[in-house]
Amino acid sequence: MRAIKGVLLTCDSAVKQILLTMNEKDPFVIEDLDDYHLVIKADEEYRVRRELEAELEKNTYSLETN
Amino acid sequence: MASKRALEGSGEAGPSKRRRAEDSNDYVDEEYHSEQDDNASFVPRGATINFSALTRKLAEARRAKPIDGDESSLDAHRRQQDALVSHIFMDQDFSFLHLKPDHASRPLWISPDDGHIILEAFSPIAEQAQDFLVAISEPVSRYADSCCVIYTSRHAIRPAFIHEYKLTSYSLYAAVSVGLQTEDIIEVLNRLSKVPVPETITNFIRERTLSYGKVKLVLKHNKYFVESSHPETLQLLLKDKVIREARVVSQLTDNSIKAATFTTTKAPVKGNLVIPGTKEAEKKKDDTAGTRIGASISGGAADADLFTSIVGVDNDEIDEDDDNVHAFEIDDAKIDDVKKRCNELEYPMLEEYDFRNDTVNANLDIDLKPATVIRPYQETSLSKMFGNGRARSGIIVLPCGAGKTLVGITAACTIKKSCLVLCTSSVSVMQWKQQFMQWSNVTDRQIAVFTADQKERFAGESGIVVSTYSMVANTHNRSHESKKMMEFLTSREWGFILLDEVHVVPAAMFRRVVTTIKAHSKLGLTATLVREDDKIADLNYMIGPKLYEANWMDLAAKGHIANVQCAEVWCPMTPEFYKEYLREQSRKRMLLYCMNPKKFQACQFLIKFHEARGDKVIVFSDNVFALEAYAKKLGKPYIHGGTGQVERMRVLQWFQHDSNVNTIFLSKVGDTSIDLPEATCLIQISSHFGSRRQEAQRLGRILRAKRRNDEGFNAFFYSLVSKDTQEMFYSTKRQQFLIDQGYAFKVITHLDGLEDLEDLVYKTKDEQIELISSVLLANESEADLGTDIRGNEGDLAGTVTSKDFGPTRFPAAQRTTGSLTALSGAQHMSYVEQNKSANKKLARDAAPRHKLFSRRDKDKATARKEQRAMGRT
Repeated sequence: MRAIKGVLLTCDSAVKQILLTMNEKDPFVIEDLDDYHLVIKADEEYRVRRELEAELEKNTYSLETN
Repeated sequence: MASKRALEGSGEAGPSKRRRAEDSNDYVDEEYHSEQDDNASFVPRGATINFSALTRKLAEARRAKPIDGDESSLDAHRRQQDALVSHIFMDQDFSFLHLKPDHASRPLWISPDDGHIILEAFSPIAEQAQDFLVAISEPVSRYADSCCVIYTSRHAIRPAFIHEYKLTSYSLYAAVSVGLQTEDIIEVLNRLSKVPVPETITNFIRERTLSYGKVKLVLKHNKYFVESSHPETLQLLLKDKVIREARVVSQLTDNSIKAATFTTTKAPVKGNLVIPGTKEAEKKKDDTAGTRIGASISGGAADADLFTSIVGVDNDEIDEDDDNVHAFEIDDAKIDDVKKRCNELEYPMLEEYDFRNDTVNANLDIDLKPATVIRPYQETSLSKMFGNGRARSGIIVLPCGAGKTLVGITAACTIKKSCLVLCTSSVSVMQWKQQFMQWSNVTDRQIAVFTADQKERFAGESGIVVSTYSMVANTHNRSHESKKMMEFLTSREWGFILLDEVHVVPAAMFRRVVTTIKAHSKLGLTATLVREDDKIADLNYMIGPKLYEANWMDLAAKGHIANVQCAEVWCPMTPEFYKEYLREQSRKRMLLYCMNPKKFQACQFLIKFHEARGDKVIVFSDNVFALEAYAKKLGKPYIHGGTGQVERMRVLQWFQHDSNVNTIFLSKVGDTSIDLPEATCLIQISSHFGSRRQEAQRLGRILRAKRRNDEGFNAFFYSLVSKDTQEMFYSTKRQQFLIDQGYAFKVITHLDGLEDLEDLVYKTKDEQIELISSVLLANESEADLGTDIRGNEGDLAGTVTSKDFGPTRFPAAQRTTGSLTALSGAQHMSYVEQNKSANKKLARDAAPRHKLFSRRDKDKATARKEQRAMGRT
């Protein structure tokens, strides 16, 4: 089997759920370890972080967008 | 904040990736993370970026500028710092403004850019400065709360005790309309400011105030006139197309040159006026010599203020030099356009009513009852309205529970002319009538009600009519009776029109009301002058400027309203719920974050905690599905729109009088008008999206707590929010209004002792999964908000009151017991309902009814029985 370079992510359970939904659209998770840990493909890390940031930002109210 | 949560990659991950990330702007801080120790990742991202960017800039600057030999290092350092400061603040670097030598004793900072004024509320003269600022500018936010709210905006960090105000055209317009004059405003501002008032600001003030107050809108003999003592101004206005077209050319012209264009009359002269119920009124009674009468015109309370002495609210008319006023008539259908146009031309029209010299309209003989005494802030607000002996039109803003009704009634008793009161629903119509009877000596004959069910007229020449906005604004399908009533309303001239809850009325409806009813003066009352649709500016020309706005924190400090501790409780979503939440795109999402088991637990914990303290708790939920689920699970009584009248009264009575029932669940029906002064704690589990008004209204439910005057008493206001969901967004938005009033929301991320609660609900995963399946099974329509309420005919959409939820519904089919079980062959089985509503557990005989009613009920029951028996045979 070919080796894949991976990154271990530590996150809380809510963020993990967001990542899992993102994964359904565009798979990047290598292994789902437990409630707080995921191993994802290293090449995808940057994209995943960016998308996650955007997702979390949706629930924040800031005065400027008011 | 959710956004601050950064993923922590493990340190070993590919270093080549790191390098690439560095290039992008978003991730510049990565470099610093890896260089510093592991703790760095706990620094909030925003702060790190700023810091790193700064350090780099500083280093660059150092490299770029070779230090000259003849310059001391201190100078260089200072220059560098200045450069840095101006770099950070960019356009908002005002360091070129020089502080006055005695700046420490002056409390104001003024931003030359946008007219923002920052007040140091800890300054010894802050109180006077505040009075002045309230008169000339709009409060933006008041952070009077002693716990430190650090709040970042594009200006600076504003800690506690810093208030922010803003000079706007409207606020200056309001200032002029209460009698302040341009040069005085500038002078006082200069006295209070730490820096000389910037040129831009003085120009702004001059420009805005110069044209103000020159044009007045006057109602004479049922016709509208634009009046001014400067004929040039009128000529100027008439050059405008809109205004020219609205003008009515009257046939009655006389020969003088001026009168060819305008009618000319004597300018009104001021006299003595005393607002009833104020201290001045009492004084006047005592002091027969009447030495104080002259001084009482300004309404008294503000006498000693710093600025009144200089500015002189007591001043005579602005245009003393010209005794003649000139006027032209305009079409009443176009009155609204003209007003708007005048605002655009920067000649806003003042609406004043010289009611004491009005001999055309009959006087109404009402007065406050001798026992009625109004509070100081109510007096101040009224003195703004009657500042020069006439009634000005405008809006008064007072918090819920601070006695808006009494202000309205006092104003009506001061004007003493026919009065029309408009409110939002037929229930508040009855409340207004009842309040009028309670506080003033108006007789039953003088006060009439106009709703869908009742169409009355007052007896005699003058009186009071109470109605709803929609009854008056309705344009189609009127019954014969209401048509006649409307003719009655539109045919006459009203001295005074009182508009309750002005912020909720749709602009179009408002326009119709304002144009069809001819009133000399208008007073709008509201608790929250915010609208989600940004139509607030419309109110400015339709009613008038904001005359007075109370400071919630001041009122709380003086014990007029309760002290409230606000908190937002963050409940994490359980993984199962969050998974479904992410998958669901429809309205059901909302159901999922309302029914979050962690929220259940937090709710249970808070109820338990506060019941143990002896608090009476109200739990609010807009969502009826969630309301029932919570109330049943936690075994508490609840009321929503579907609850029957008798059951509702019983629940309310138990809550008020029984020490065993300390918690009730209310749906949207409890938002307004429900008066439960026993309640001291409020928990919110679901709400109407980002409505700032609802938040303020709900807070209002506990502001009038009975126990508010107890030493050290605090009421509690909790918002339960599911983390990482849209609710976080809405919740922050909702709080903005209260934050601007000076309330601080504490964020609670963890409730201590929650896990140790013995009978904690949904403790196990199985129970939680059971809950989620019940939520998923629920209809999508269950997620709708406020489905349980229906308005009466003539009520404004979206406004509800507690005591009446619309027409009572009768079941369409008659039910009989027993037959179905027999048919299905289950005659000998019996069932027990496990998860019963707590409403049913309350004893049936809870509400002792009057003998008359119980007898009537008994008669009714026997009659029904007989009827049924008749039907069978």
